[in-house]
Amino acid sequence: MAHVDTTHAPPAHEPSAHPPEHEEETTTGINHRKLLMWVFLGSDCLFFGSLIATYMVYRGQSVVGPYPKDIIDVPITTISTFVLLMSSFAMVMGVAAARNGNQKRLVQWLIATIILGAIFIGFQVYEFNLFRIEGLRYETNLFSSTFFTLTGFHGAHVTLGLFWLLCLTIIAMRNPAGRPSGLDVDIAGLYWHFVDIVWIVIFTLLYLIGGFDAGPEVEHAAVQGWQWITATIM
Amino acid sequence: MSTNPGHEGALPHDEHGGHEDAGMKRFFFGHVPEGVHGGLKQYGWLAIFLGIITLVEFLIIVPEGLQGSSVVIAPLVILSVIKFFCVVAFFMHLKFEHPLLWQIFVAGLILGLVVALSLVVLFGVLRPTPRAFSENRQEPFVHHAAEEEHHFEALVIPTPCPVGACPQPAAPGAAVASSPGQALFVGAAACSSCHTISGVAQGVLGPPLDGIGSASANRIPGYSAEEYILESILEPDAYAAGTADGLSQDYDGNLMLSTMAGVLPSLSDEDIEALVEYLLSLQ
Ligand code: HEC
Repeated sequence: MAHVDTTHAPPAHEPSAHPPEHEEETTTGINHRKLLMWVFLGSDCLFFGSLIATYMVYRGQSVVGPYPKDIIDVPITTISTFVLLMSSFAMVMGVAAARNGNQKRLVQWLIATIILGAIFIGFQVYEFNLFRIEGLRYETNLFSSTFFTLTGFHGAHVTLGLFWLLCLTIIAMRNPAGRPSGLDVDIAGLYWHFVDIVWIVIFTLLYLIGGFDAGPEVEHAAVQGWQWITATIM
Repeated sequence: MSTNPGHEGALPHDEHGGHEDAGMKRFFFGHVPEGVHGGLKQYGWLAIFLGIITLVEFLIIVPEGLQGSSVVIAPLVILSVIKFFCVVAFFMHLKFEHPLLWQIFVAGLILGLVVALSLVVLFGVLRPTPRAFSENRQEPFVHHAAEEEHHFEALVIPTPCPVGACPQPAAPGAAVASSPGQALFVGAAACSSCHTISGVAQGVLGPPLDGIGSASANRIPGYSAEEYILESILEPDAYAAGTADGLSQDYDGNLMLSTMAGVLPSLSDEDIEALVEYLLSLQ
């Protein structure tokens, strides 16, 4: 940030001095890169949808411990959830700064996003490691396999996002004159927020609702729901 | 693209002051032209709002009585859905975008939900297993066991068998059964998927049954051949045949037990008798 060469930078407070992106004519009127990002995010819903479903199917089916109730730490994860949420806020501020051509602010918000995202990953590394020490390994039971698969893939998404943001930050620090473009930051932001909303779902289902599950004596939630539905309809 | 290119950040934000309140209201609830973005003020409030929701979610499950209970499911799901759509609408500024993007994302979301729901219903509620599948289809075939047996055999998948150890389907020629016991053996009772009898069946998971009619008399001292075969069918785990009996390997009685648990209830006493009679005839 301190290295930003302001002599080549457009005046920071004049949004129109630097068109945030080159408007291109497309048949839909939507920039293709942005469109593709949304299509990808739509398809990523299916990816996480099936991983979440797999977890729900095997919920409460493990025959050996540790069970979620022995090991899931809801308070800690509430904090990390909050941290990820705040990183989304920092990200959206970064996008706004990029749209306004304010390179200095952009770098600051990007760095804030990266730090918060890294803290989230730190929490996850801590959690995984603790689980391992407590004897919950990937192959221990149905809970651990589905849990690690789902949250692991989410963590991989976050990690990828961190690299992406890091690249943008480096570019922004090297090229004060309007690169990365508002659109570049915007698209990275879309990915970052998506990772956040996936975590919102995971946090609710795996921690707040499923975090107190025990062994197979627990009535299966899906079965409960199904019975409720059939009882209501019939 | 947008109707007002270059008007990014058209709403007032922190640096500008001014009509912030009007801007806030319009930003969150009103109709805003495409391409508009908020500033520190709008996003800051939203972040605080989302943070508070997270806190409320946490507080809901603090009382121990509520932990893991089903009454909290609805409020928690509603709160997280609100959070979800706030992030999508404002942080991902989908509210200010071309409607096509909404449609694409919601389509993906719905597909994802449908996939998730079908998986949960299929494997969490209905839980089909190969065995349940064949059990459900047993009745119609039992009546025509003699004619239908080789169709039926294709449907029976007893236990997942190790690669290479899977039973070979009986040759079509062998399908014409010579006795009711043999018909059952290759048909409804599904014995042929594990046992070999020359010219009749080629299963590999259980011991070959050629000559079992005479061998069975010597398996357990004090048991007649008939008693031994009967017990082998009804309680396969009671005595596991193995190398001590001159067989090539020690067999796992539980394997047959667990598979028979699905088949035995559907066999009548006459069926069992027919099976025993048939096996006794294998000298
Ligand atoms: C899942 C595979 C499986 C199926 C299906 C199966 N068996 Fe078996 N069977 C075994 C195994 C493994 C053993 C060896 C363990 C034991 O002796 O209990 C065995 C043992 C036997 C024995 C004793 C053999 C000996 O040499 O002592 C008889 C008799 C027998 N089975 C008859 C049947 C009949 C009749 C059926 C059909 C109603 C049947 N089995 C179905 C796996 C199977």
